[in-house]
Amino acid sequence: MVGFILARTFRAILVLIFTVTLVFIVLRLSGDPAQQMLSDSTSPEALAAFNAKWGLDRSIFEQYLFYVANALRGDFGISFADGREVFTVVSERIPKTFALTVPAFILSLLIGIPAGIIAAMHRESAVDKGVMAGAVLGYSIPNFLLGLVFIFAFAVWLRVLPSSGSSTWRHAILPVATFALYNAAAVARFMRSTLIDVLGQPYIAAARADGVPNIEIILRHALPNAAIPMVTTLGFVAGGLLGGAVLVEPVFAWPGLGTGFVNATSTGDLPVAQAMVLLFTAFMVVINLTVDVLYVVLNPKIRKQ
Amino acid sequence: MSKLLTVRDLVVEVPSRRMKIIDGISFSLEAGQTLGLVGESGCGKSMTCYAVANMLPRGIERTGGSIEFERDPSKSGRAADPTIAMIFQDPTSSLNPVHTIGYYLESALYRNQGLKGNDARLEAMRLLERVGIDRAKSRLRAYPHQFSGGMNQRVMIAHALAAKPQLLIADEPTTALDVTMQAQILHLLEELKAETGMALIIVSHDLGVIARLADHAAVMYCGKVVETAPVADLLQRPAHPYARALIDCMPSIDPADLEPPVPIPGSVPLLDSLPKGCHFHPRCSRATGECTALFPSPSAIGRVHEASCYHPVAA
Repeated sequence: MVGFILARTFRAILVLIFTVTLVFIVLRLSGDPAQQMLSDSTSPEALAAFNAKWGLDRSIFEQYLFYVANALRGDFGISFADGREVFTVVSERIPKTFALTVPAFILSLLIGIPAGIIAAMHRESAVDKGVMAGAVLGYSIPNFLLGLVFIFAFAVWLRVLPSSGSSTWRHAILPVATFALYNAAAVARFMRSTLIDVLGQPYIAAARADGVPNIEIILRHALPNAAIPMVTTLGFVAGGLLGGAVLVEPVFAWPGLGTGFVNATSTGDLPVAQAMVLLFTAFMVVINLTVDVLYVVLNPKIRKQ
Repeated sequence: MSKLLTVRDLVVEVPSRRMKIIDGISFSLEAGQTLGLVGESGCGKSMTCYAVANMLPRGIERTGGSIEFERDPSKSGRAADPTIAMIFQDPTSSLNPVHTIGYYLESALYRNQGLKGNDARLEAMRLLERVGIDRAKSRLRAYPHQFSGGMNQRVMIAHALAAKPQLLIADEPTTALDVTMQAQILHLLEELKAETGMALIIVSHDLGVIARLADHAAVMYCGKVVETAPVADLLQRPAHPYARALIDCMPSIDPADLEPPVPIPGSVPLLDSLPKGCHFHPRCSRATGECTALFPSPSAIGRVHEASCYHPVAA
């Protein structure tokens, strides 16, 4: 178990190094930051001064080594846009994004898992068809569009909730709902199909033949088996929430990592964009590591080998 | 001796396709006796068991006939029916992969006998030892995937014993096992039957298994029982051409027996396109016009020996 976690952690670090390198190269290839940041009428001297200030006049290899060496010390450079430390710029956005994604994740589990279980238990019934119709609807609307629909309905039309900003908890309701509904639909669909698959296994028929009560069949016999593939899906959902932040946060002008990343890439603020991609990658790596560990904990076939 | 189980004119259907899987079969079983159900794959042997155990799968229903158990006059309701336990063809997939053997046995002991904690653990160990699994204490912590198919079948049998059944239904209990394991499991079933006095329904397509364990056998073909007889009678004097053909296609290991096994021509018809009359007539060398018109009703061949055939094989 310890060996397994160490091996996975080592792999996670490799992924991070690879990402740093890739992001560094891709962002450098995507255009000259001096030209993006400064106006077209800037004098060549000013351009050269800008490049010298940020080390952009050195070779790309030198820039890369400097970047990695500094990043290891927690120094991700200075934002091109406002001259503040990238570390500060990015870290003050992290709690904002978590304030949306963590409640949304919990909510999508609280809605999606029971809905999927109920649909699977009453397979082919009106309940099942109703739940699944709702899930398909929730799943097929792109989440940024759903966000706009919510703004129109609750902020513009009903005027009960604010449409943008993050000053009070009420501002979080619409973005969290947007996130949660989409992901609850995905969780419900997968929970249903996984549970139906497990309920069709011979050991469930055998347990029923033994007279095990239905509630115990679901809770003790079926769900522990369904949990194994579910963990993988929930990993995707958690990762999707962070990726979705890039789409959903700007809709609500929510000052989290998603909005920050969109701003940084559109203004060519390389140090900030770079640090954010690295942070997203680190989140994904942590999520995957958690999934791997939970998988081993839940699945005796892997645990005992 | 009293009849433990009487099945009369049992009909099992797939209502959505109006297809009869079992078409009016009758048999009975006395307490402590063993009934063998034999026939090719798809003839309705397993479905008969599921119907008796009241565990027909989704979409399959009993639509006719009766299944009667001898009731315990001191009890009422379902509790008065005899306890039935069942073991299955593929033991490993019939055991929940996330639970230990100990959980499986102890929860059954709690359900059936109200045993808890240490009492349940000790009884589970005793059951494992009884079915021939040594180092029982450490095995209770094992998972099904750590056991061989034969060991898992022993676990299933131990689990069935936890219910103290008056009737054990064994659906192809040795089909998925290798030959040495088959012999051991059959031996174990024989012993347990003698020890507990439980009745046994054993399903197999292997006449050898039936010959070894059963007192009485019913030969099934396309959802019908075509012959019932004491096992010795059936093997020596099969009356139905299908029963005869099943015996003839068994290979013999007797070096003096030079006759090669004879395969049955053709294949089992599909349930939704059964031939009219006797379902076996297209594959039968004795078939006449009569056989294509109406399914023959059972006629007595000997004492407690019946066959549904217009032209039974002479003894």
